[in-house]
Amino acid sequence: MSDLGEVKINRTYKASRALLFEVMTTPEHLQHFWGPIGMTTPIENIVVEPRVGGRFETGMVSPDGEVYWMKGVFTEFDPPNRLAWTEPDVEGGMLNTITFTDLGDGTCEAFTHQTNVPEMYRTPEAQAGMATSFDKCDAYLETLV
Amino acid sequence: MMPEPDHLSATFAALADPTRRAILARLAEGEATVNELAEPFDMSLQAVSKHLKVLEAAGLITRGQKAQYRPCRLEPAPLASAIEWVERHKAIWEDRFDQLEQHLKKIQQPTKETTQ
Repeated sequence: MSDLGEVKINRTYKASRALLFEVMTTPEHLQHFWGPIGMTTPIENIVVEPRVGGRFETGMVSPDGEVYWMKGVFTEFDPPNRLAWTEPDVEGGMLNTITFTDLGDGTCEAFTHQTNVPEMYRTPEAQAGMATSFDKCDAYLETLV
Repeated sequence: MMPEPDHLSATFAALADPTRRAILARLAEGEATVNELAEPFDMSLQAVSKHLKVLEAAGLITRGQKAQYRPCRLEPAPLASAIEWVERHKAIWEDRFDQLEQHLKKIQQPTKETTQ
């Protein structure tokens, strides 16, 4: 059970991190993979202002024509290493961070971290990487089903 | 992406403290009084009570009303919402990264011309 309040995903790709960073920050590329399955994100619904403080906005279109906007602002824009943006209007402020690492064999790793309690990561305990398992809470919830 | 209830961020803020997470883990085993909850911590009853107030305000626990004995009880709904939040956002990213993988393969094919 992963820590609550955050999403952490690690993926490896056969590509350099320079390419991966570019693909992640270019509307021409983003339109091809951004929307979750079932939605599309047309290029005219994508805004990338490639600098700290720049906009990062995507409008995902559902099959029935509804548009769901993600409106973000870059807090880090450091090719090819790191990309981070906040979504200030969502749930008290979501922070998304992607860190790109070359693995030295033509592949690279993209580590994504999303949280809506970014201040959680400013405490000393958090920085020491303290994690608490919620297995007991999980087990308790299962007894209620 | 979809409209979110605002109490989710209150839930996560309440969960952002290691003592409060430990309190919840203990309550997952069964209800307990403030004294019982304070036992494992090197902390005054007052300090523990402060944490309990935060958890209560976030709806994560409720406190019974039996005269002198006010047991704390874990409330399943906010915790379930928090777990669901993680699973939902994780699924969105996994989809996105799966599609990214397909896209990367396409654009890196050496002999084909890529179209935008």
